[in-house]
Amino acid sequence: MSWLEFADVYYRYPGQERYALDGLTVTFPGGENIALIGRNGAGKSTLFLHCNGLYRPDAGEVRFAGRPLVYDRKSLKALRQHVGVVFQNADEQLFSASVAQDISFGPFNLGLTEPEVRRRVRMAAELCEVVDMLERPTHALSGGEKARVALAGVLAMDPDILISDELMANLDPWGRRRIFDIFKRLHQRGKTIVLATHDLNVVRRWATYVVVMAGGRAAFAGSPDDLLANQAVLAETGLAQVWFDEI
Amino acid sequence: MHIIDCYAYSNKIRAVDPAQKAGLAVIVLGLCLAFNHPVVSLLAVAWMWGLAVWQAGLPVLVFGRVLLAELFFLALATVAVALSVSLNAPANPDAWLLPVGPLWISSTPDDIFKAANLVLRALGAASAMNFLALTTPLVDLVDLLRRLRFSPILIDLMTVMYRFIFVLMESLNRMYVAQDSRLGYSSYWRGMSSAGLLGSRLFIEAFQRSQRLQTALDARGYEGGHLQVLPTTYYRSDKLLAMSAAAILSLAAAWLVL
Repeated sequence: MSWLEFADVYYRYPGQERYALDGLTVTFPGGENIALIGRNGAGKSTLFLHCNGLYRPDAGEVRFAGRPLVYDRKSLKALRQHVGVVFQNADEQLFSASVAQDISFGPFNLGLTEPEVRRRVRMAAELCEVVDMLERPTHALSGGEKARVALAGVLAMDPDILISDELMANLDPWGRRRIFDIFKRLHQRGKTIVLATHDLNVVRRWATYVVVMAGGRAAFAGSPDDLLANQAVLAETGLAQVWFDEI
Repeated sequence: MHIIDCYAYSNKIRAVDPAQKAGLAVIVLGLCLAFNHPVVSLLAVAWMWGLAVWQAGLPVLVFGRVLLAELFFLALATVAVALSVSLNAPANPDAWLLPVGPLWISSTPDDIFKAANLVLRALGAASAMNFLALTTPLVDLVDLLRRLRFSPILIDLMTVMYRFIFVLMESLNRMYVAQDSRLGYSSYWRGMSSAGLLGSRLFIEAFQRSQRLQTALDARGYEGGHLQVLPTTYYRSDKLLAMSAAAILSLAAAWLVL
């Protein structure tokens, strides 16, 4: 089973004094539904950008399947086949004029042949329920449809680990429900899903593993039940108040 | 733009090879320019309008409205051809004269004919382009350019720009509503100031979005160069081909006879 590991990772954005990742050490176990929670600015998005080599740590090591990431072209290409990232705003991912073309972009970058790309596009479109909109222009889709197309664009690369950075933040409950149905099918296929979320219901009902980020570090990593029982972490991260209010 | 785009995607000949539609449009445009005869131009308008309605299934008024908008601009542009303004009254006995203060506004039947011919010629050419725009989405035209071996970088730029027009239009709309709801357009000068702020903010937004798009492309394995995506599949329409041939021949025949 594939997994991701951060070992004492530091990262600071150019011109910033504060570290966005400040000695982050955490493991994302394979085959789990992982919820990543934390306040805005806790380092969640920065962590995600390290997962498939988009950012390179200033210090420390990111490991995939036990091996440190190598940042040359060939290794990054291989890594991005295994670790897919889908971002919060689907509009910033969809660049092609038609849905089918956008989904085909990732598989072509993997060097696949056109028949194989067509098969992958079909497979991802079926998984994300966007088959009927393959020939539609991307700008004519609703927010929920754009989110599913963005997801299909990443799933067409058939990653082992899917990382979703608050993809559902702008969706209505029905749109979120459809995305969770897709996640359920992926989980059944043994995929690892890492989801950044502010919704504590997601942590309680969907997640099998939780990572709590605070100040660029992992304040907690474990099961949702363990998190609920850990009064010290709940108090330290301010989760106690919001969690129990929400429940 | 949204309406033209909607018809381009939903018309009956959407899946016909864009080369076939673009070929017809370019030939008709060329004939209008080359033959330079009002009857040929009118015939071109009639053919393009007819094909758009009967072949592509577009509503009659849609094509008419687009033509009307173009006619308005063309009419404005040819005013200078139809009318002359001078300080002295023209000596031409055929001229119609209108004194306005110290100026003489004049025109002759020949000037009017020239202006009308120019408008019709441009309208004939524009109708050919309208036919193409209303029946062929930009993505198909880009695909055609790719088949014609245009520069891949230019083609990628066109694709991304086309996509971003809609994204930025949404942003523009959101920002405008946000400004308007806070009385940003309550007076002329306040409106000018708000529009300036909106423009500068939109520029920054476009830049930031382009950076985030680059990150998203990299995340899907992009390593620079051509943005490779699936080509679209089309079919050849023999019926449209026959009608195109008839249109071209009728334009040529009209020119020869007249």
